[in-house]
Amino acid sequence: MAAGSLRKRRAVAGAAVVRRTPLEVVVHALGWVVLVVALVLVLAPLVFMFIASFMPSREIMRMPFSWWPSSFFLDNFWQAIKGNDGKFIFPRAILNSVMVSSCVALTTVLFSALAGYGLTKLKFRGSNIVFVLILSTLMVPFETVMIPLYVVVTGMGLQNTYAGLIVPFLLSAFGVFLMRQSLLTFPDELLDASRIDGASEVGIFFRIVLPNMLPVMAVLGVLTFEQQWGNLIWPLLVVQAPELRTMPLYVVTFMEEKSTNEGAMVAVAALSSLPMLVIFFSLSRFFLKGANVFSAGKE
Amino acid sequence: MWGWVFVLPALTYFAVFSFYPIFNAFWLSLHTKNPLSLRPPRFVGLRNYLDLLDSATFWNSWKATGLFTLGTAIPLVVLSLLLATIIVSRLNFQRFFQLAFYAPAVIPSVVAAAVWLLLLDPRGVANQWVNFVLGLSGVDHKWLANPEMVRFSTTVVYLWEKLGFFTIIFIAGLGGIPQSVKEAAHVDGAGGWQLYRYVTLPLLKPTTLLVSVMAMIFCMRTFATQYLFTQAGAPRESINVVTLSIYTTGIRDLQLGLANAMSIVLLLVMLVLSLLQFRLSGRGES
Repeated sequence: MAAGSLRKRRAVAGAAVVRRTPLEVVVHALGWVVLVVALVLVLAPLVFMFIASFMPSREIMRMPFSWWPSSFFLDNFWQAIKGNDGKFIFPRAILNSVMVSSCVALTTVLFSALAGYGLTKLKFRGSNIVFVLILSTLMVPFETVMIPLYVVVTGMGLQNTYAGLIVPFLLSAFGVFLMRQSLLTFPDELLDASRIDGASEVGIFFRIVLPNMLPVMAVLGVLTFEQQWGNLIWPLLVVQAPELRTMPLYVVTFMEEKSTNEGAMVAVAALSSLPMLVIFFSLSRFFLKGANVFSAGKE
Repeated sequence: MWGWVFVLPALTYFAVFSFYPIFNAFWLSLHTKNPLSLRPPRFVGLRNYLDLLDSATFWNSWKATGLFTLGTAIPLVVLSLLLATIIVSRLNFQRFFQLAFYAPAVIPSVVAAAVWLLLLDPRGVANQWVNFVLGLSGVDHKWLANPEMVRFSTTVVYLWEKLGFFTIIFIAGLGGIPQSVKEAAHVDGAGGWQLYRYVTLPLLKPTTLLVSVMAMIFCMRTFATQYLFTQAGAPRESINVVTLSIYTTGIRDLQLGLANAMSIVLLLVMLVLSLLQFRLSGRGES
């Protein structure tokens, strides 16, 4: 459908090219200027990050900045990976982040799908109230409950543990909402047919529902992973032990260390950004879809 | 019966990690408690809230959040609408521009802030480019040293991060306007600008409202940039936003009662905005 409407839009726009007034030609050209200027401004910091990571600190801070390294200087990366104390905490932090983000993404997708399915296809007395209750937590941004959550999680004795990092994000109201919306249009006939064949409810969920929900699950999984990958505030609250630091937390502590030079800092930044950028460009349709999920609530 | 089984994990989770903390926070905000002492919390009534009203830091943090939110959300909405409008009017490269503008959003915000620290350095690219455009040479704009400039710098970083996200939402909104309406207006003799001003913009209003509220909510939640900038030695006061202030009060100064009261105030303000967003996105309807 998207391709069709795009083609139609193009056809109409193409027709407009023919009867463009001189003023419209100027406006159209100005549009290109704005786009290109915006593009340069948006991409410059990214380009800077990757180019500067190949420069010695002296060269990064030289005025004017030369947008190409005089030689490909790789010490920054070695310095970044080994850390100022040579204890290789950065790779550990990346691994921690991968682990925490994957766990959170997996549980969010699974439990949201479970709840979404229960709320749409196995309606029970009070299921609407349950949905409204869950939905109401969407209105509570994490930052407003972080201190209360901190009290709860430390009360459970989970400070300085992986569980403490993961447990507040096992599930998200947004996930339940997304799953419920997409399950509303799931054909009941398919479920009834399997029931007649004697399949159990759990079996139906895992064999019929989940395989058919993969695209939505991918959107939710990718968005959740991205969010956790950049999460600074929660690890800052619950983790002090160096070996439990996630990547964002490591970036802060690394920046604070006196012996950190600009080159190593920018190499840490480049290495931390690379995984997400690769995921982004290879799975870009999920990201673009994900951004639209927020607006197209009724779809 | 099976319905309950499927919903139970979610319900338990929300009870323990959403509802209980909020009620607990409200309860704790009426008490004083030092997390390092074993003494049970002491009931103090509305003392924490009254302390907040008296606290210059509290009012300053709301001033910082307010100025940041307005100063960032408005340009964010205007610029993303502008970019979306231009992108949609192009025959080629639509997808390329969407991806390029969205790319900064996938960089973790602390990492982005760390890179911007270098760009905003007195010797950095920001000074070089601004001086080039303004025809100056060797002027230091004190991006990270002057309190007002630091606020502006956090705005720039945030704009850079979130522009693509809102641009994409606007592109979807623009795509949702029926072609037939535009064609009808065109047949009636509406030119490009008139078409945009009197047909497209009014029809886009729901998206614009939604984006505005979302942008404000996003801005009020900002933390990582301000945190990293203050850790790097930037003046704190002008960027001591509410989230940062809650963190400092609760975790660094160990005043949990006060921090809980601050959280409750933030929660109430955000609830109003979120309710508005709900209304606008039509999520409430099923």
